Amino acid sequence: MSAVTVDQLNDGGRQSAEDQARAAELKRLERRDGWRRRIPILPALIYTILVTQIPFLFTLFYSLTDWRIDTPDPRQFIWFENYGSLSGDTFFLDSAWVSVQMTVMAVLGSLIVGTGLAILLDRKFFGQGFVRTLLITPFLVMPVVAGLMWKLQMFNSTFGIIGWVMNQLGLEPVEFATRFPLASVVVVLIWQWSPFMMLIVLAGLQGQDQSVLEAARVDGATSWGTFRQITLPQLRPFLELGTLLGAIYLIQVYDHIEVIVGGQPGARNLPFYIAGRSIGGGNRFGLSSAYSIVVVLASIIIANIGLRVLSNLLEDDS
Amino acid sequence: MALFTRAPKPEPILGQNRAVAFFLAVLTWIIGLLFFFPLFWLVLNGFKEEAVASSSPTLIFDPTLDRFREVTETTNLLTFAEAFWNSFWIVLISTFIVMTLAIPAAYSLAIRPMRKWRDVLFFFISTKFLPIVGIIMPVWIIARDLNLLGTRTVLVILYTAMNLPLAVWMLRSFFAEVPKELVEASQIDGCSLLGQIRQVILPIVAPGLAATALLCVIFAWNEFFFALQLNNVGASTIPVWVNSQQKFQGQFLAGLSAASVLATLPVVLAGWVAQKRMIRGLALGAIK
Amino acid sequence: MAEVQYKDASRIYPGTDEPAVNKLNIDIPDGELLVLVGPSGSGKSTALRMLAGLETVNQGAVYIGGTDVTLKPPQDRDIAMVFQNYALYPSMTVGENMGFALKQAKVPKDERAKRVQEAARILDLEEYLDRKPKNLSGGQRQRVAMGRAIVRQPQVFLMDEPLSNLDAKLRVQTRTELSDLQARLGVTTVYVTHDQVEAMTMGDRVAVLNFGVLQQVDAPKTLYSKPANKFVAGFIGSPAMNLFDAESIDGRPAIGGVAAPISDSVAGQLGRVDGAAIGVRPEHLKLASSGIQGEVTVIEELGSESFVHVAIQHMGERTTIVVRDEGETETTRGQNVHVDFDGPIHVFDADGERVD
Repeated sequence: MSAVTVDQLNDGGRQSAEDQARAAELKRLERRDGWRRRIPILPALIYTILVTQIPFLFTLFYSLTDWRIDTPDPRQFIWFENYGSLSGDTFFLDSAWVSVQMTVMAVLGSLIVGTGLAILLDRKFFGQGFVRTLLITPFLVMPVVAGLMWKLQMFNSTFGIIGWVMNQLGLEPVEFATRFPLASVVVVLIWQWSPFMMLIVLAGLQGQDQSVLEAARVDGATSWGTFRQITLPQLRPFLELGTLLGAIYLIQVYDHIEVIVGGQPGARNLPFYIAGRSIGGGNRFGLSSAYSIVVVLASIIIANIGLRVLSNLLEDDS
Repeated sequence: MALFTRAPKPEPILGQNRAVAFFLAVLTWIIGLLFFFPLFWLVLNGFKEEAVASSSPTLIFDPTLDRFREVTETTNLLTFAEAFWNSFWIVLISTFIVMTLAIPAAYSLAIRPMRKWRDVLFFFISTKFLPIVGIIMPVWIIARDLNLLGTRTVLVILYTAMNLPLAVWMLRSFFAEVPKELVEASQIDGCSLLGQIRQVILPIVAPGLAATALLCVIFAWNEFFFALQLNNVGASTIPVWVNSQQKFQGQFLAGLSAASVLATLPVVLAGWVAQKRMIRGLALGAIK
Repeated sequence: MAEVQYKDASRIYPGTDEPAVNKLNIDIPDGELLVLVGPSGSGKSTALRMLAGLETVNQGAVYIGGTDVTLKPPQDRDIAMVFQNYALYPSMTVGENMGFALKQAKVPKDERAKRVQEAARILDLEEYLDRKPKNLSGGQRQRVAMGRAIVRQPQVFLMDEPLSNLDAKLRVQTRTELSDLQARLGVTTVYVTHDQVEAMTMGDRVAVLNFGVLQQVDAPKTLYSKPANKFVAGFIGSPAMNLFDAESIDGRPAIGGVAAPISDSVAGQLGRVDGAAIGVRPEHLKLASSGIQGEVTVIEELGSESFVHVAIQHMGERTTIVVRDEGETETTRGQNVHVDFDGPIHVFDADGERVD
């Protein structure tokens, strides 16, 4: 009886030593595995931090100084003086307002036009592929070219197409880019970005669950009812994605403004204004940095709200 | 032959009536042509004489290749050949670096995710929310201090950073579509990590890789702001060259149009060839 | 070929407290086909994946052929696995799929081709060797997945619901072929399924899991006739066993006011009836002139037999008891009948354990 007990004890002792060794080895393997999972991402991560985050810290630092490029690098700390002057800077406020208008109009406009185009394209007809190709093309065009092209051959009052059409209709042609700078830029932006939205919505339409649509039809839903109650909710993530990507790019628009309207105040958005006041010749690095920080903060706030609303884009897919 | 056919399976949203379908097909054609019209006109203008281009719009003219010859041959501060090769190398190298960095990152985010991978992905996306104006000044100053202003290198560095988040995001989605079991099967079959990526994963995600790379090429080829701000003339790219074809005196529309056609053509052609993959890459990939 | 052992093997997913597999102990002798069965979330797939090396074994150990493989990566375990969705490499042909593992193991080309041919012959896949998986039917893909496993001549086959993507008819046919193949090759096999019919028909032995805990591992016959606890009793058998909380009549467990005819020794072992459960399979009940009173609600007619659902009053509630009827008596819906015991009765104590 006692022998069995001793045996069991021994056995238990040996077992637990083996278990401990195994547990230690397991821990080592798990640590190694953790690094194996992390290492592949590090190059991209480090690169992104180096090129985007570190300059940003510099900007933050500059924004607290009175630095102008034409003074020999005094970088005198003036703390928040630059920020204090922002509220009285009407040019800055005007540019901010232009930025908001331009982004909202361009994103919404291209989203609406793009969705319409996608719906039209999502049916079989003669030459469907060809028409889709035609419709995609504006997105591929270099923004500089798009701007020049619209400014000179569309908007121009003497040899522009729109002027010519107005002439034919007996109207007096106007110089659009000068009279309506903001609208002109927005039109070109919508022309370029509708195809992008169209692609995204088209992917959503084509990825629809057909059986649900059929069920709806069996249940006697009208086409419009099916669209509103079934297709639209299914499209939601795609519309959200379009809004997100569109906003990211459109809030930073520079090329079109530079080319179409130059420095006209009516269409001068923040990126354009800030670039002009710093490296574009204004040389007010300290002040411009403060502008930039405000823009970044605003963007982060808007993006966070946006991403939280769109949070399902970041949800797991497993 | 019927001008239109009704799709048998994906039921169109708008009416199912044949007359309505015909009307919608015609409408789609008209809108498509309207959208394309500015480009069509651009190409026409490129074949015109300056005087013809700069007068009331006309479809009747003697086409000439002279404008194309002029814009490619003139020795301005930046010639077409210089700008083209600058763009070519900058786009090629930056896209190559982007893919080299993004493929392992996407693998690590999708196939063997670390803990908190979502935060990392969010970080990558969030850098796209950082307005370029937020970093352009220090970038300019650092580039100046490193003597990189006016070099191709600075654009390669910046375009890589610009496209990297998008590439990581898109590739992660493509990688996430690889069935988990395939990776496990290859592990059981005794495949090394590199073999697994090369023989099992890459063949599946190849179309996604192509779409991603293409999008990076498009964005990099078309980029203007950095090229204008950080590059003096010698090392600058095609968009800057096109912009410089504007003249302050005389007629230049035809020449500018010819230049625009040359600048746009490579990317438009590439986009046409790969449009289907881009649809998947942009939307399905990102939503999944 | 080898025996397989789970020794107190547990899997706890990071961020959870409940183990997905809790101290699993099974010895699988060489050449056996062991089926792991259980409802979804029972840990059966996790247990299989622990053996494959695809899940970490957090505690305890796993042995293949006497060697501790607990910490070894999948490729060092000499196993082959068949996945539910087959996991065929889409870019490779059938032949390349089947030869892939051999190629990784640097088996010479001639030898590889020979073994692939051999496996293809066994599985009747010879004419498809140059096709891509996407050009195959579901059944053919399933066979390719099998082929990929056979070619390797591994120590153990692991199969994770390999038939669940086939249609019902093909599934039954493939089931027999697969059992036959396994018996001929004599390779130890661990087979996961949620389908208890598949488990019963294929397994040399069947291990029933629930909430990560092994409930019983036995030959199918034993599992059916002597379920170790209430869970196994309810899970195995189709239609399911009638299981009731027992009511007490003169200190004996009873259903619907009728005491179950159990031996004195079982009654003695059970002791208190409160909290105990009583189970009878439908074929161990009969419609009779006396017994539990009830009303016929549904008749499932299968031709050779029928299952009659009878609503009875049990412990003050209306509930249903299912009786197998050989078709000797005419029954109709709404008819008042009596149900009587006609065979073994299973009694489970308050902990749900079997009392014999």
